Amino acid sequence: MRLASAGFVAVLVCAGLRAALAEGIPSPTVPSYLDETPTSGLKHTFAGEWEFMVGGGAAAFDCNADGFPEVFLAGGENRTQLFRNASAQGGALKFAAQESGLELESVSGAYPADIDGDGVTDLILLRVGENVAMRGLGECRFERANEAWGFNGGDSWWTSFAATWERGADWPTVAIGSYIDRKEEISPWGSCTDNWLLRPAGGARKFAAPVALKPSYCPLSILFTDWNRSGTPSLRVSNDREYYEGGQEQMWKIEPGRAPALYTAEEGWRFLRIWGMGIAGYDLDSDGYPEFFLSSMADNKLQKLAEVPASGTPGPGYADIAFSIGVTAHRPYTGGELKPSTAWHAEFQDVNNDGRADIFVAKGNVWEMPDFAMKDPNNLLLQKADGTFEEAGDRAGVASFRTARGGAVVDLNLDGLLDIVTVNRNDVSEVWRNTGGKADAHWMQFRLAQDSANRDAIGAWVEVRCAGTVLRREITIGGGHAGGHLGWVHFGLGSDTEADLRVIWPDGQAGEWQRLAADSFYVVERGKPPIRWQPK
Amino acid sequence: MHSVGRLFAALAIAMLGWCMTLPADAADRPTPQKILRDWYYLMNELVRHTATYSPPVASRSFGYLGVTAFEAAAGGSDRLVSLVGQLQGFDSVPAREAGAVYDETVVIGAAMSDAIVYYFGNTGPTGLRAIKTAQTRWRERAIAGVPDDVVARSEAFGKAVAARIHEWSMDDGGAVVDNMGFPEEWSLPKGDDKWVPTSPIRQQQLPLLPEWGNKRTFAVPSGATCPTPGNPPYSVEPGSAFYEEAVEVYEAGRSVTPEQAAIARFWSDDPMLSMTPPGHWVSIALQVADRADLSLEDNVDLLARIGIALSDAFVGCWHAKFEYNLLRPVTYIKKVIDPKWEPLLITPPFPEYPSGHSTVSGAMDAVLTAFFGDNYAFEDMTGSPDGRNPRSFAGFHEAAEEAGISRLYGGIHFRSAIVDGLAQGRCVGDYTNALKTRK
Repeated sequence: MRLASAGFVAVLVCAGLRAALAEGIPSPTVPSYLDETPTSGLKHTFAGEWEFMVGGGAAAFDCNADGFPEVFLAGGENRTQLFRNASAQGGALKFAAQESGLELESVSGAYPADIDGDGVTDLILLRVGENVAMRGLGECRFERANEAWGFNGGDSWWTSFAATWERGADWPTVAIGSYIDRKEEISPWGSCTDNWLLRPAGGARKFAAPVALKPSYCPLSILFTDWNRSGTPSLRVSNDREYYEGGQEQMWKIEPGRAPALYTAEEGWRFLRIWGMGIAGYDLDSDGYPEFFLSSMADNKLQKLAEVPASGTPGPGYADIAFSIGVTAHRPYTGGELKPSTAWHAEFQDVNNDGRADIFVAKGNVWEMPDFAMKDPNNLLLQKADGTFEEAGDRAGVASFRTARGGAVVDLNLDGLLDIVTVNRNDVSEVWRNTGGKADAHWMQFRLAQDSANRDAIGAWVEVRCAGTVLRREITIGGGHAGGHLGWVHFGLGSDTEADLRVIWPDGQAGEWQRLAADSFYVVERGKPPIRWQPK
Repeated sequence: MHSVGRLFAALAIAMLGWCMTLPADAADRPTPQKILRDWYYLMNELVRHTATYSPPVASRSFGYLGVTAFEAAAGGSDRLVSLVGQLQGFDSVPAREAGAVYDETVVIGAAMSDAIVYYFGNTGPTGLRAIKTAQTRWRERAIAGVPDDVVARSEAFGKAVAARIHEWSMDDGGAVVDNMGFPEEWSLPKGDDKWVPTSPIRQQQLPLLPEWGNKRTFAVPSGATCPTPGNPPYSVEPGSAFYEEAVEVYEAGRSVTPEQAAIARFWSDDPMLSMTPPGHWVSIALQVADRADLSLEDNVDLLARIGIALSDAFVGCWHAKFEYNLLRPVTYIKKVIDPKWEPLLITPPFPEYPSGHSTVSGAMDAVLTAFFGDNYAFEDMTGSPDGRNPRSFAGFHEAAEEAGISRLYGGIHFRSAIVDGLAQGRCVGDYTNALKTRK
């Protein structure tokens, strides 16, 4: 299937890009990234042997209420580290390692979420062993909350996390993915251990006992997403085919008050088996439904709903359009190696503020696998005006050959340009500052808030309209590889200096369209006009 | 009869015992045929979990592994005859010291312990970890109670045989597999009847291992030795032989019965998701060998023969595939009959004619029937870990025929590719059967 139809193009671009489209398809503006690893103070290594060949997540979130996202990095056999963001707005990236209570070993990943709805972000630590829920206390201090929250950390090789607030619930539902039985030494294949679903305990602000999501097929990424815009998110699970037997990619129906149930072939779910490493979602073609990038080894996948009916909700069948739009990212594009690539964290973000979502993919060999590239550069796939993508990682300066795992594409110095952090296995983590590209590219960033247990409005859809085109993204916790970020939601606007904002809140209620000026941060509290925000 | 599931369970129990920290007990020493089969089970896992292991590559390794085990055992047997001089380019093998004592379990264990690294050293970290663990723990059991000098002599011989076979393997044209077997450049023949890519996977826009048909063979003189008659003349005219074969695939797909779908999936044997068709047949041989409690000599004879025939069958099949370069049913049917048709199975990324699974299954029919006899009933549990029900067969001929027709039910082959592939495989198998392995 090819997407490069006129209709597809029309919904992708903002006003400033139409002319370019009419005259041909220029290459996108390549952002310029500056490697500030040596000077930033971000000194960290995710290290480990077999049990840490996967994982290595990065989490970005603000834990001291200054608006600048802190960076938390998993350590594997090293202790984890929280880095307080000491950057000045628009300045060089600066971090300071901070004692926080998060300094645990055997951590493979982390996801920020305000679990208890107190307005202070908490952190779920994925570990090889027991997961730990860390309650945020403010000023970047955390305390263990497993017992207080009824959070069963289990004892497994945990790899992935996702959270949602089910309809009417005052406590989140979380899913946690588990990998192989690490005690199996000679024949670990087929030993996938159970993924867990932890729902609210009825009437109490804590978790009920875990429910095993059977069958489990060794996921490395999971994500709650309202993929069909039904108002009820489902749980997408991307599984590593290296270890399951009889498995495939999965999607669970998680409906309030009902036991989880898998989407079936009879319902339209299509059989797909990949080395599932990471999930990223974004409504690339502005049809109202998210596309999903699934990272893997060799070819990566970009899934689009196979059929969208004129009325009613679509079925769960997806077609792979990665090849047709140029995002297979199947082997290195620089460095001289031709062997297949290994992809991990993936994320859609508009890194050049041209109004089109781009894709960042962290790359790195699993562990000296000779049939896969050892020098495997990260990808920065820039979306062009016709909806296809162009590789620019080398030109942008982020084509590191270190063995990346997790990452985050986030505005660390609040200048409207998205910076990049990667976690490399048995090597130093890296951070790049986006120093810009085209001068007249604009942006907006939003932070949602609502007066409910789901304070950060997880599950909301943020829509930005410019010249009749709607850019749209879902607010989620999960996906990526072993880490995610919570905080400012970024949109590039191209040459538009104003745009309309609308939020569709998690309960489905749509807010009013609001006209806003570009190049600003806004706190969008439900029922109130957006408030322009500036760092102090 | 032991099932694969039960064999796996027995293997797991054995492994569990070997994992214990208690000193190895001489009374628990495995027989040489037991340790041989255990290594083969592990290698069949690695076929599934090693990225270069497409079916042709797997068949090649099973060829050299079979010869390794055979020559390791033949050196100490007064019943076996070396294959030196009978296989292409195989002109020497180490000899044992005259009159010296060897332990066959240690010999076989050492040979397989090294061979697995030669042929699966490129597997992933989990596979390498499994290999190292098996090498350590299985060796402890193998040498328990054996005098040190016998252990040293036996291990040296086993290792020497494995090294010699590996050295012989290196110039056969199949030792280096890059990009999971997909060429960086390959000129696709043009024409309405010619193969075109069928997958949206970027890596598969050129066909798998297009030069495999020129690889050195084992028992047959070359890949051209057992030719196929060719597919029916290409035509889009209703009533033509080609069109009618396509209609047969199309209709089979539209009206596939649960039993036919089960057959298609049972023999699907997709690379990276299974032990591949060669591994499937090795699994069958191991199940039958276990049930029959074959002696070491019978075991190595069997594994050498099926390895040789599997490898030669794939070379012959690939030679023909790239002679005809025929398009796949999904390409033809979408173009000529129904643009919305989809096959049940994943269409493999290489030309259609003849069917690879049919060719190796024909070869296995010839070799296994010659070894065990006609109407040797067996149950195949190969797909059980993946949730597929076992299937029972009255003999190897029946199993091979079912493997062949499974590709039509699955929508990935026309009938001619199956019929001619089975015949080609039987021709290849006859060369293997002509090898002299017994005095």
